[in-house]
Amino acid sequence: MVFAQFSCNDWLELIPPNGLIREEFWKTKEDVEAVLMASYESFAGLNRNLFIFGEIRGDMLEGDVNQGTGEQLLMENNIYPDNGICNWSNFYKVINYCNEVIKNAPLVQEMDNTFTDYKKQGLMAEAYFLRSLAYFYLVRLYKEVPLILEPSETDDADFYVTKSSEEVILNQLVSDLEEYRTFAPSGGFATIRENKGRASKASFDALLADIELWRFNYEAVIEHVQAIENNIEYTLMPGGRWFEMFFPGNSLEGIFEFQFDDNLNQKNGLYGTMNRNSSQYIPSQKALEMFAFEFASELVRGEDVTIKKYGEDEFIIWKYVGMAPDGQSVRSGSYQNSSNWIVYRLADVLLMKAEALSQLERYQEAMNIIIEIRDRGSVQPMPIANSPNAYEDAIMNERALELAYEGKRWFDLLRMGRRNNFARKDKLIEIIVSNVPSTQKRILAAKLTNPLGWYLPIFEDEIERNKNLVQNPYYDF
Amino acid sequence: MKKLKSAIILIIALCNFFTVVAQQKTIIRGRVIDDFDKTTIIGANVVEYDKENRVVNGTITNVNGDFVLQMLDPTNIVKISVIGYKAQEIEVDPNKSIMVVLQSDDVALGEVTITAEAKSTNSLTNIDDRDKASSSVKIDLMDMQDAGVLSAADALQGKVSGLDIIAASGDPGSGSQLVIRGLSSMGNNQPLIVIDGIPQFRVDNSFDLSSADTEDISNLINIALQDIKSIEVLKDAASTAIYGSQGADGVLLIETHKGRMGKVQFDYQYRNNLNVQPPPIPMLNGDEYIMLQLEEWHNARGVFEIPPEIAYNKDYFDFYNYSANTDWLKEITKNGITHDHYFSVSGGGEKTRYFTSFSYLDEGGTTINTGYKRFSTRVNLDYFLSTKLLFQVKFNYTSSITDGNVSLQGNYWKSRNIREMAYIKAPNMSIWEYDANGNPTGEYFTPIQSYQGDGVTYFNPVAVAHLGKNDKNRNQLENTFTLQYRFNDWLTFRETISFQYAGEKSKNYLPYNAIGADWLQWNINKAEEGNSLNRQIRTETQIAFNSPFKNENHELSGAFTWITEQAGYEWMNIQSNRTPSTDIQDPAIDAQINWIGTGSGENRLTRSVNNLNYKLLDRYMFQAVLTADAHSSFGANNRWGLFQGLSAGWRFSNESFLESLTWLDESMLRASWGVSGRQPGNVYARFATYQSTGTGSYILEPAVAPQGIQLNNLRWEKISSYDFGLELNLFKERVYFEADIYEKVTNDLLFDPYQIPYTSGYSELTYLNGGQMTNNGWELMADFKIIRTKDWLWSVNFNTSQNINSFNKLPENFNSERSTSIGNEQYPLRVVEGEPIGSFFGFRYLGVWASDEDVVARDADGNTLHDSEGRPIPLRYTDSYTFKGGDPIYEDINNDGKIDLNDVVYIGDSNPNFIGGFGTTVKYKNFDFSTSFHYRLGFDIVNGIAMQTEGMNNRDNQSKAVLSRWRVQGQDEEGMLPRAYLNHPANNLGSDRYVEKGDFLRLNNVKISYRLSKELCNKIGVRKANIALSTRKLYTFTNYSGQDPEISQDATDPFWIGVDYARTPPPKVYTISIGVGF
Repeated sequence: MVFAQFSCNDWLELIPPNGLIREEFWKTKEDVEAVLMASYESFAGLNRNLFIFGEIRGDMLEGDVNQGTGEQLLMENNIYPDNGICNWSNFYKVINYCNEVIKNAPLVQEMDNTFTDYKKQGLMAEAYFLRSLAYFYLVRLYKEVPLILEPSETDDADFYVTKSSEEVILNQLVSDLEEYRTFAPSGGFATIRENKGRASKASFDALLADIELWRFNYEAVIEHVQAIENNIEYTLMPGGRWFEMFFPGNSLEGIFEFQFDDNLNQKNGLYGTMNRNSSQYIPSQKALEMFAFEFASELVRGEDVTIKKYGEDEFIIWKYVGMAPDGQSVRSGSYQNSSNWIVYRLADVLLMKAEALSQLERYQEAMNIIIEIRDRGSVQPMPIANSPNAYEDAIMNERALELAYEGKRWFDLLRMGRRNNFARKDKLIEIIVSNVPSTQKRILAAKLTNPLGWYLPIFEDEIERNKNLVQNPYYDF
Repeated sequence: MKKLKSAIILIIALCNFFTVVAQQKTIIRGRVIDDFDKTTIIGANVVEYDKENRVVNGTITNVNGDFVLQMLDPTNIVKISVIGYKAQEIEVDPNKSIMVVLQSDDVALGEVTITAEAKSTNSLTNIDDRDKASSSVKIDLMDMQDAGVLSAADALQGKVSGLDIIAASGDPGSGSQLVIRGLSSMGNNQPLIVIDGIPQFRVDNSFDLSSADTEDISNLINIALQDIKSIEVLKDAASTAIYGSQGADGVLLIETHKGRMGKVQFDYQYRNNLNVQPPPIPMLNGDEYIMLQLEEWHNARGVFEIPPEIAYNKDYFDFYNYSANTDWLKEITKNGITHDHYFSVSGGGEKTRYFTSFSYLDEGGTTINTGYKRFSTRVNLDYFLSTKLLFQVKFNYTSSITDGNVSLQGNYWKSRNIREMAYIKAPNMSIWEYDANGNPTGEYFTPIQSYQGDGVTYFNPVAVAHLGKNDKNRNQLENTFTLQYRFNDWLTFRETISFQYAGEKSKNYLPYNAIGADWLQWNINKAEEGNSLNRQIRTETQIAFNSPFKNENHELSGAFTWITEQAGYEWMNIQSNRTPSTDIQDPAIDAQINWIGTGSGENRLTRSVNNLNYKLLDRYMFQAVLTADAHSSFGANNRWGLFQGLSAGWRFSNESFLESLTWLDESMLRASWGVSGRQPGNVYARFATYQSTGTGSYILEPAVAPQGIQLNNLRWEKISSYDFGLELNLFKERVYFEADIYEKVTNDLLFDPYQIPYTSGYSELTYLNGGQMTNNGWELMADFKIIRTKDWLWSVNFNTSQNINSFNKLPENFNSERSTSIGNEQYPLRVVEGEPIGSFFGFRYLGVWASDEDVVARDADGNTLHDSEGRPIPLRYTDSYTFKGGDPIYEDINNDGKIDLNDVVYIGDSNPNFIGGFGTTVKYKNFDFSTSFHYRLGFDIVNGIAMQTEGMNNRDNQSKAVLSRWRVQGQDEEGMLPRAYLNHPANNLGSDRYVEKGDFLRLNNVKISYRLSKELCNKIGVRKANIALSTRKLYTFTNYSGQDPEISQDATDPFWIGVDYARTPPPKVYTISIGVGF
């Protein structure tokens, strides 16, 4: 009888014909690396979202005829929880993959003798980096989100997690990053694509600097940026080669870039979003003024480089469409979908440092950085009054020009609005309201004095699925 | 010879469980021998006839040629007959053993009827039908064969209490949906279909392409109706428990004809059906449509520039294409003709018996370019190797071709079939294209952009029907071998092996000229081909036993059965576009491939069924079933499922204290309890598999990720049920009643899938067990044989049942509201604990505001609300719109001056209260008249077609009902519809405006037939001949305003509601049938 039971159980143990089941997976270090790569791959797949989230509520962009309805509503601050853009599922997919790596890497090491501590810590560090980056985006978008640090492996897991406060999440990220920074690879890969496309020590520093700046820990920002400055692998590209950061990409300045290659079917959606025929997004009037008029000397970064003019008054964003800073050579063939999405580059972190320095009233040091950046862009230095606000405005403008359409603007503005207990929130509201049809400007400006309105609502479906979630009160009507 | 004869009798004896019970009745005994060689005759019929020469009782001689017959009335006559011998009447003498000497008969063998009540040899339980104490109903299909029904499901509709059958669609070959005793689980509530003891495998859900839906499952019983001898419906868990995990939703046992001993018989039947579509909802013509559109524009925009398509501008180059009055529905509707040929040969000698049939069915649909062709053949062969050994072979092959139309999605949220499109297509557009001078170009008019929208979302239904192709070719083969060995009087061994194989090939093609789309669109010259293959091997090993002891007061029987099943599937699908020519419809030739997919899988099951029956004094019956199932869908922890059934019966009519009641015939009280279960359809669901993600790599490294969440807690869904029943036979079997009450409780409901928060990294668990659903109900069947004389027979039957469904418990963390957004054509979906699945929620519609001034918000006492300046506050829709004259009035339930989610109330329920049917049969000499009705009462339907065709807020065509719409301020008429208003935000909200009573009573069948008399048949040299005229679904009594109130109960998720979309309603069928036998 017992025998029958056993043989019967064998006969009934059928394993799916496609893919490996969990018991057969997680055996070698290659398995760990493959799931880590899936985290990168799915994060990279978010590139268009990163562009949308980072730009369209700002003032550099204008919707064109083919802009999707959901995105248009977001741009006009006409946001309701049923807007599919608010769905955070793709971020949590990345987080879950990272959690899989973090949990299983130590278990695999027990089975795979070739899996060294060094290798394991390195892969885990990359997972911690991606998870932290994902949470940092979530915190900036939603303020409070569920903090999930365990993978959803089986149906025994608790799926109904409540939100954690911004402070708890950021503390978790900083402690993870600081702990694992030491294990992060530093340029040891065979190809430049891997060195730029996978989390390195400098990537850790950049993310830490960004988080600390968000938390207004200026000393820490300076410290982290200095670590990058001390790294000889990263230097500012000379002005004449400024465009090489975008084509062919992976320049000396790049710290962390999601890699795309059309030949490997890894497609970046930005060409499709920005080419002349797509008619989805065009530079805003404000952007045109900044590039073409007020700063007439924006030659390195302006017309035919960041943006491009067709005929009388038709403009497009050129950064991800062109092959050269000439406004002529359009990307062709497989180059169209191969541009990288730059998460951090040296100019970005240097300006972070400048922002931190100026807030600490170390104006001269800040000024030096600004001059360095402007110099590279062949723009004349300009006098800035020695006040934190004057510097803040100048740095914001500099970042807007230098990092235009790189998914930074909205988060910069949000940081400004939050600083010093919302001291300058009117300026942020003014910018948000500039996207809105004139009839609604007044009513919206009044509503947005509540800073919770700067964040996204939790997607309606998610609220329905998880009763433990509390909607952002701004949207709870 | 002798041995063979004994083999026959052994088989019959096995099946025959009549035991003589000592009572004060006449018992005769005797032996039957051959006149010539004086050997005993086995299997001779010993039949008791009453004064009207009707068979009232009978038995068969055993291996030794002996018989014992307990006579019902000693004054009756007893005749002995057997094939090959002359029949003989014997002298009734209970006091001695009668020796009957039969003389061989050289004249042609006549028809032989084996009168012994036989236990089905296919049953897993070793029990007599008569002694069954669980709830089941057996329907004889012999009478249905010359009526216009085409499938077994058709024939059963309205015949069995508690069995709800809904035609999935009136399109040919589309099958029906069967629900026994209410919806007890989510997803597929289809009963298990068992043909001659072999469960028919279900189409695996996991390759859920466009083809696999609920309709496919009932296609499994789409075998030639004439092959079916009877269908038995097992309703309670005590009887379905033997099918363990497969019996959860009830079981249909189908028995096909078998060969009979006697001369070879040929039967041929031809039927011709005329299928006529009931008249559609009248729609606006082109001119009325243009007027409506102009009014919509005017009301919404005020002054506007009239789009040229609706401007009647003769200079417009498409003028002739947009000035037609096309009746799209009429254009796609036709009358269908069905031919059905059926031929069978049967007969047999002592060693073998055979039954072979061939049938060919060619069914024409009532929508253009739809049809169904089926060829099927069946061979049932019994071979008696010795007195102890029987060998049976069953072979069945069915090949069918379904010719359907392409459904298209475009920008709409779901794909529309051509009938749905015909309802909404602008009637001012012409079918054929004209040039600017009004000359036809010979092409279909399929503009890329029309007034309504793009040419894929708003395709030309006539063009798509004629040019598009959607064919399905299905081949099914089934082979069963049975070997039966009888050890001794009380022990039998049986081994059955069966193979089933089904292959399906689907071909789709959509040429560029059927739709209006740019050449670069993916659905230009789109070719799609899919292949799937299902196979199953099943073994069944059984040891059956009867009482090994001789005691007439106690009877014991039972069976131990061990079953294994393994089923596998494979599929492949390829879709490509831009084939170089419309003549090249093969997706593999020189086209751009959109996608290719393949899949495969397998599942295995072992089951042990143990059954024990005990009968005391032929009055008290006890039956027990214990089934243990192990299925490969589950992990080792939850693999085994135990299913039990217990039933008890009391044949009180045989009690001595009731003997004085002469009007009481054999009657029984019975009670049963049982548990059956259900396993998930996707057998690999419990695994989380690691597969390549999206692009498969990052930089150059491979990327692999888990595709789902591993299910550690996946369990059997368990359905337990109680049943109490009463069977009453009265007045010499002239009146028969059967009543049942039951309760069915489903625990650990399988949610498929179950949505979980996105924060998990996934969107769903493939399955989750949780919650509880109950169905309570009662059933009543009655049969009256009012007149029963030699020439006349008149019988009336009636059945009804009521089922109350309720969702008792929802899983923890389950959010009972979904899609809480409100808007036009949207019903907020909710599940409420204690309410039935399929409840509607929405606004209350109170008519139309007559004028702008009438639109005011009121408080609970009905007083108008005023603002701070004393002006009346108008009623608003959320924060976005203020109602005006001509807009619909929705009840402001909470009197807050706003129509929003808080004003949503319960407005109806999709579950019927009563279902059933009734019918009558009248026979006079050779004429035969019968009729049957089918009804479903007490349920509501959301009239989805009315919602789409009376909203007047878009560019879709609307029904003629909108002609009585609000047009001017102050207009206030009874039954008036709201005003036309393009893109109105709230003039067509999900409300009780479209919730209608679905009650209907349908005249399902009317049949009149004439059978040629024996004398006439003999004269013209045929064995039998008949002709029948019948109609099906001739008339439906209903107040429902849609096309057809039969709405499928496709409750795949707890939020399901019954909405009527424009399926093809079941046609009226007129049939002439001719049958000849030789």
